[in-house]
Amino acid sequence: MIEHYLFLSVILFCLGILGVISRRNVFIVFMAIELMLNAANLGFVALARLHVSMDGHVLAMLVMAVAAAEAALALAVVILLHKHKGKLDTNIFSLLRG
Amino acid sequence: MQDLMAILPLVATGAGAILLMLAAAFESFRKEGISIMGIGLFAFAFFVQLAVANSGSFAPYSGVLNGMLATSTFTKVAGLIILACGFFSAIAAQAYFTQNKGFVLEFYCLMLFAACGMLLLTMAAELITLFIALEIMSLAIYALVGYDRKSVRRSEAVLKYLMLGAFAGAFYIMGTVFIYAGAKSTSFRVITDVIATTGFLSNPPLVGGAFLILFAFLFKAAAFPFHAWVVDVYDGAPLPVTGFMATAVKTAVFAVLANFLMISSDLQAAWVDYLFYIAVFTMFAGNLIAIAQNNLKRMLAASGIVHSGYLIIALVAIQAKTFTGGAMLFYLAAYALATLGIFAALSYLAGEEERRVSFDDFKGLARVRPYSAACISIFLLSMAGIPPTAGFMGKFYIIASAFQAGHVSLAILGIVSSILSMWYYLRLIVLMYFREPEDRFEVAEMTLAPLGTIILAICVFAISFYPVVL
Repeated sequence: MIEHYLFLSVILFCLGILGVISRRNVFIVFMAIELMLNAANLGFVALARLHVSMDGHVLAMLVMAVAAAEAALALAVVILLHKHKGKLDTNIFSLLRG
Repeated sequence: MQDLMAILPLVATGAGAILLMLAAAFESFRKEGISIMGIGLFAFAFFVQLAVANSGSFAPYSGVLNGMLATSTFTKVAGLIILACGFFSAIAAQAYFTQNKGFVLEFYCLMLFAACGMLLLTMAAELITLFIALEIMSLAIYALVGYDRKSVRRSEAVLKYLMLGAFAGAFYIMGTVFIYAGAKSTSFRVITDVIATTGFLSNPPLVGGAFLILFAFLFKAAAFPFHAWVVDVYDGAPLPVTGFMATAVKTAVFAVLANFLMISSDLQAAWVDYLFYIAVFTMFAGNLIAIAQNNLKRMLAASGIVHSGYLIIALVAIQAKTFTGGAMLFYLAAYALATLGIFAALSYLAGEEERRVSFDDFKGLARVRPYSAACISIFLLSMAGIPPTAGFMGKFYIIASAFQAGHVSLAILGIVSSILSMWYYLRLIVLMYFREPEDRFEVAEMTLAPLGTIILAICVFAISFYPVVL
């Protein structure tokens, strides 16, 4: 039964990778990254049950805290970019391409 | 008590950052005061680290705080390099902000927080502690890259860095899940025991986890398939921040990479062949990019990729049983001195709004400012690996360690790449000395940054006499 959760975790992680690679909107890309982190959290919690230890739960909580800090910074960057360009498409940011 | 001693430098930087943040709230502390305080705090943390490193009262690789952290001579010296990088970057920043706008009082706090994360990173002996340290460092660095909110270039650089950095971070955390699945723990010590009893390659979750974690680290270290972001991000960041990123972040990442590979010799042996090719491709890809650049900052970023390649040679050559990390640390110190020196010189020579950044802008510098030109030449020669500079000794130790470990072809490729790299280092020296000046190189009066540059130039020679045990 627990294995199913682990498979789901890996599938969610791969969906996150796909999202980062294929989407062009900055918001969606950051959401995909959050999906990857939360896939890892699901894995931690499922494994904690499998190993019958509390470690996994604690690790999941810590990852959540870090993910929140990262999201805060990401949103600040999104606002900054929107102020400069008025759009959130990653294709229009090309000053540094080279 | 011993645990407290071991984390004292961490406490010093962390508390210093908070203190500085509080001080920034007062009207009476303005730009100059905060700059001096920031530089002073880095110097203070450096001496604390030095005192801790010299106390030598605890055994190598002793666990601290119930095995969450581990200290050894390797981590202590890496910490010293990081804090020295912070000190000289802070000096460069002080010069930079006398000519550029966009200063925020929190700049030095962010630098100290980043240094705190890096120190924690070098000592981490548990995967989640390591993740948190990585994020403390990265979040502070993201903010430093993009803190000048008016500039579109900075915003683009921070977007690129943040997106790719968070992506790599997610891989890291997934790798931790796999290792937790395979070893039932995230502590390095337990993972070592598990590998010793079950073997590494016969435990698929561990292999997958180690792969994902190495992926994330190699991204942070700017190794071959993941090197493309470096040039853009380093170019987009303000000069002193670029110097800080290129040196301190690299030291922290390579220290943690070595610690991770040292979990077990089986683990290292499984990846040596891949690291071999990554080292070769990183060196040559970096050289190709660097040769094509006309912008000094971009050239230094690309040469940073090449130096990552040499450091990966050191990783290939380390042996778990007799690991001291001497060759790696010496190379990191030599590279940090030269890079910080160039960035300290650029921070006052570049002028307002980073006006002078391309190769042609430095034509004839030697006629107008002979001392600055001489210092820059010393740093460039050290990076190119010309004796008797520290860069030469660093390359010598790394290539000798590759020979010792039996990787003769890798050693030879390292030498070839080092010869290739002369092209773009010597180009700037030729421009500085054998062309007529077109610019008067007028810069604002300042004392700290030129002094720091000269000190760094002396250190380039001084540390090459330091004996290293391979």
